Amino acid sequence: MTNLLVPRSDVSEFRKRYRWLALFAFVGFAAVVLRLFHLQIIQGAKYSQIAHENVIRRVAVPTTRGIIRDAQGRILASSRPSFNVLVVPGRVMPSARPSRSSRSADEPESWSRVADTLRLNPDERTRLTARIRDACVTDEDRSPCWRPILVREDLSRDIVAELKQHATEVPGVEVVSQPVRYYPYKELGAHVIGYTAEIDADTLSKFRPTNWETLSAEERQQSNPLGYEPGDMIGATGVERTWESYLRGQRGWEKRVVDARGRYRSGPEAERLLDAPSRQEPLPGRDLRLTIDVDLEQAVERALRPYTAGAAVVVDVRSGRLLAVYSKPEFDPNDLSGGSGRDRIRESFNKLYSDPLRPMLDKTMSGAFAPGSTFKPFSALAALQDKLVNPAERERCDGYLYFGRRAFHCTHVHGKVNMHDAIAQSCNIYFFKLAEAVGVDRIARLASEFGLGQKTGLGVNPESPGRIPTRSWYALRYKGQFRIGFTLNTAIGQGATTVTPLQLALAYGAIANGGTVYSPQIVRAVETSDGAVVQDFPPRVRQKAQVSPENLARVNDALYAVVNDEKGTAFPVRDATLEVAGKTGTAQTGYVNTSGDEPKKAWYMSRDHAWFASYFPAKSPEIAVVVLVEHGGSGPTIAAPIAMQIIRDYRRLAQPHATKAAGAKDGHQSGPSATAIKASHQERPRE
Amino acid sequence: MRNLRDHARLFGLPRDQFDWALFLTASALAVIGVINLYSATSVSRAALSDIYIQQVYWLVLGGILAAVVAMIDYRHYERLGYVLYGIGIVLLVLVFILGKDIRGSSRWIQIGSFSFQPSEFMKLLMIIALAKYLHDDPKTDSRSLKDLLIPAALAAIPTLLILKQPDLGTAVILAFIFATIALLTKIRWKSLVTLAVAVGIAMPLLWTYVFHDYQKQRILVFLNPESNLLGSGWHAHHARVAIGAGGVSGEGFMRGTQNQFLFVPDQHSDFPFAVFAQDWGFLGCLILVALYTFLVLWAVRIAATAKDRFGAVLAIGVGALVFWHAFFNLGMVTGILPVVGVTLPLFSAGGSSVVTIMLGIGLLMNVSMRRFYVSPAHGTGLSTN
Repeated sequence: MTNLLVPRSDVSEFRKRYRWLALFAFVGFAAVVLRLFHLQIIQGAKYSQIAHENVIRRVAVPTTRGIIRDAQGRILASSRPSFNVLVVPGRVMPSARPSRSSRSADEPESWSRVADTLRLNPDERTRLTARIRDACVTDEDRSPCWRPILVREDLSRDIVAELKQHATEVPGVEVVSQPVRYYPYKELGAHVIGYTAEIDADTLSKFRPTNWETLSAEERQQSNPLGYEPGDMIGATGVERTWESYLRGQRGWEKRVVDARGRYRSGPEAERLLDAPSRQEPLPGRDLRLTIDVDLEQAVERALRPYTAGAAVVVDVRSGRLLAVYSKPEFDPNDLSGGSGRDRIRESFNKLYSDPLRPMLDKTMSGAFAPGSTFKPFSALAALQDKLVNPAERERCDGYLYFGRRAFHCTHVHGKVNMHDAIAQSCNIYFFKLAEAVGVDRIARLASEFGLGQKTGLGVNPESPGRIPTRSWYALRYKGQFRIGFTLNTAIGQGATTVTPLQLALAYGAIANGGTVYSPQIVRAVETSDGAVVQDFPPRVRQKAQVSPENLARVNDALYAVVNDEKGTAFPVRDATLEVAGKTGTAQTGYVNTSGDEPKKAWYMSRDHAWFASYFPAKSPEIAVVVLVEHGGSGPTIAAPIAMQIIRDYRRLAQPHATKAAGAKDGHQSGPSATAIKASHQERPRE
Repeated sequence: MRNLRDHARLFGLPRDQFDWALFLTASALAVIGVINLYSATSVSRAALSDIYIQQVYWLVLGGILAAVVAMIDYRHYERLGYVLYGIGIVLLVLVFILGKDIRGSSRWIQIGSFSFQPSEFMKLLMIIALAKYLHDDPKTDSRSLKDLLIPAALAAIPTLLILKQPDLGTAVILAFIFATIALLTKIRWKSLVTLAVAVGIAMPLLWTYVFHDYQKQRILVFLNPESNLLGSGWHAHHARVAIGAGGVSGEGFMRGTQNQFLFVPDQHSDFPFAVFAQDWGFLGCLILVALYTFLVLWAVRIAATAKDRFGAVLAIGVGALVFWHAFFNLGMVTGILPVVGVTLPLFSAGGSSVVTIMLGIGLLMNVSMRRFYVSPAHGTGLSTN
C-alpha cells in the first residue's frame, strides 16, 4: 500500500482481510438470492399452489334427502331445518385466552349473554363454561380455542331470530342450519318407513377403508359413490335404509376463503382468490311414492289400539302392493333421527331396546310366529292336490285323539266333520287324521308354493324366513327320531312351523287370486323432487302355486264359511254387510317359564297368539288382511274383530277415492303424480 | 483504493464528509421496513395496528441518537470503551434481577412503562470494547490463540450471560461478530485449525448441556422440515410457502395471502421478510437484499478507509452486526438456516433492535466522516493541501 494520504495507526494488519470479508458477505447474500431464486422462480408455481390451497377450503353444500310419500301423496318423511348453535371459545370468552398480546380491549365477553339467550340451565352453563376455558389453555393458531363447539341443538325459531338479530353484538356465535328428518305421522308405519341415524363407524369404514387418504379420486368414487362422511345421516331401517341410494342425493361443494384460524372470510379481497368452478350444486335425493295408504294405516292402528303387541298386513291381492303394514308396539322415528338432539336419541334407544315387547322389531316381516289354524287351508290343499283325502268324507271328532301314548286335543267335540266343516269350525282332529295320510313333506311342499317359510324378498327390514319343517329338517334337529306328532302339529300350524304375517298375507292373497304369489311391493314409484316419475314399478309375480282351481275353490268356500256359516269360528264377529272370507287361528306359544319370569310376565307370555287371516271381498277379492295379536288369546274373539274393523275402514276409504280419481280424470289439473295414481287405479280392474 | 483520490479533494472539510450513500441506504431500508410492517400488521387490526407507527417513533428516536453518536468524535468512545462495556455487563446482570418474563425467557428491563433489551445494546458495546482492545494492541505479526484470549473473554462474558436468559439468537450474533473481528486480525493457521477442532468438540457439549429443548427442536425441524408441519415446522413451512408464492413480481402490496390470512407467524418480529417476499416477489427481494449487501460492503469500505484501528474494527463490527442479522434472518425465513429468533435490521418491529441498528449506523457515519482527520498523536503533517 503506497497510499499514504490518510494517516493510519497500523491498520496494515487488517488490510488483507477486507477483501475476504467483503467477498464472504457477498457470497452470503448471493446464497440467499440463490435460495430466493429457487423458491420464487423455480418452485414459485408449486408454492403459489400451496398458498392458494391454504386459504381455499371446499365446503360441502348439503343436499336434501328425498321425501317419502304415501299412495295418496301425503308426506310420510321429509326434512326440516334444525338450528344448532356453535360458539368459538376464543371469541365468546376472550378473557379465557392466555396471551394478552393478541387480545384487544374492544372484544366483548359475549358468553354470558349467549348463555342467557339460549336459556341454558345452570348445569349446562357451568359445564360449557368449563369446556370453553379448557379449550383456550393455549391460543395458538390451531388450538381448540378457535374451533367451534356445539352448544345447543334444534333451537326454537324464536331463539334463532333473537340470536340473528343481535349477531353483531355477540361475536363468535354461529347458528348452523342442519336438515333433520321429520316424520309427520310420528309412530305410524314407523317400522316400514324406518328412520335415519348418524352413520356408525362400522358402516363408514365399509365406504371409507383405512387407506382412504391415499386413494385417488376415482377409487374414492368407486368405494364411496354416495360420498359418506363422518357425521352423515344414513337410513337405518325400513324404506329409509333399503332405498338409501335413491333418497340420499349427492352433496355439492362450494369454495370458501378461510384463514389460518379457520374463520371464513368474505368481501372482494377474498372473492378475488376463488377460482372457477367455485361451486357445484348439490343433487337432491329422489322422492319415493309408497304403496302404503296412510288412512288405512291409521285405521289399522285404531283397530289394534286396545292391544299391546301385534302386527297387521293389508295387501292388494291383485298386485302384491302393501296397503298397510303395521307392527306394534311402535317407536317415534323423530326421536331416533336426531330431531330433538343427541341426548334424546340415546334415551330413546335405551328405552326401546330394554322393552320386552320389542318395539324395534318389525313383526310383520322380522318376526316369525306359529300360524296356528290359519295354516290349515294349506294342509287341506296339500291333501286335495295329491288326492290323498276325499274332501266329502267325514271324520269323527271326539275332542281328543291318541297317537301312540300321547293324546292330541281339539278345541271341543265337533262330531262328524268333512273338510269344509273342519276348516270352518277349525277342527284339529280332522287335520290330525289328514296329516297322517298326507305326511309332513307334502304339506311343506305346498306351503312353500304359497311362499310360506321363505323370505318374500321385500327387503325393507331384515326378513325372517319363518319355517315349514320337513322330515329332513326334523332329522337334523332331533337326530333321526322322527315322531308322528311332528306331522300332526305341522298340519295345524303348530310345533316348529312359523310364518311371518307378511308371508301369510301374500299366501292368503294367492288363495284369493287363484294361486298367484306376488312379490310384495312397498315402493310404487321413484320421482324427482318436482314430481316427475323417474321409475315406476309394475307388480311382479313371484311364483304360481301349482293347485287346481277346483281345489282352490273348495278351500275358498270353506274360508267363506268360516265367517259366514253359522258354525264358522268367526261367524259371531262378522259384519253382515261385508263379504269376508278368512281363517281364525289361536297359536300356542309353547312358553314355559324356565328363566324365572315374574308371574305377570309369565301369564302374558303363556297366552296364545291370536290370528285372523282373510281376504275381501270374498267373491272378487281385492285385499288380503292378516292380523296377529301377540299373546292376545283367542283368534276368533280377539283377532277377527280387528280384521273386520280394518276391512270396514278399507271399504269406507275406497269409495271416496274412486270418486276422487274420476274427478281427476275430468279435470286434468292435478300434477303428474296424481296422474300416476289415477293410471294405476284404472289398471287394477283389468288384472 | 483508487477512489480515495476523490475524497482527498475534500480533505479538511469534515462537514462535507457526510456519508450520503450510508444515509440513503439506511433510510431506504427503514422506509421499506415501515411500509412492509404496515402490510404485515394490517390484518391483525386490533392487536398490532399501531406497530408500524411505533416503529416510526423508534426510527426517529434512533435517528436522533445516531446523529448524536455520529457527532461525537469516536475517539471518545475509544477512551470510554471499557467503561461502556462495563455498564453493558452490569445491565445484563440486572436483567436476571429485574427482568420480566416473556415466553419463558427474561430479556427485558422495565423502567416505568418503558422496557428495553440490554442484550441488543451489548452488541455495540462489545464491538467498542473489542475495537479498543485491538487498537491498544497494535501487533502486526501473526497472532496465536493466546493473543486472542482477552478479546475472547470480552466476547464470552456477554455471550454466556445472554445465552443464560436464554436468547440463543442474540448470543449467536455476538459470537459471530466476535469471530468476524477475530478473523480481521492475522491469526496463525495453526491456531485456526486448533480453534476449528475445539468448536467441533464443543458443539456436542453445547447440544447436550446448553441448548433448551425448544431450540433443539427447531434445529431438528430445520434438518428435516417436513417432519413436523403442525408443530415447530409450521412457522418455517408457512414462511417458505409465503416466499415461494411471491413468484417473480409478487402479489402486490397488502395482497400476500399467507399474511392476509394469518399463516405467516410472528409477521412483525421475526418473519416480516416472508410478508415482503409474497407482496413484492423476487424482484422486490432482489432490491432488498441488494440494499443489505451494499450496506455491509459499504461498512467494509468505511473500515478500509478508516484512519485508525479503532475505527476500522468499529466499522467491521457494525458491518458484521448488520450482516449476521440479515443473513441469519433471511436464511431462517427462506429455510437455509434453522429458526433462531434473529431480527432483520430495520425491518423487524422492536424498539431496542431498531435503536441499536440506528446507533450502529451512527457509529459507521462517525468513522466514515472522520476518516481524514489527522490524529494528533500520529500526525504526519500532510495537511498541506
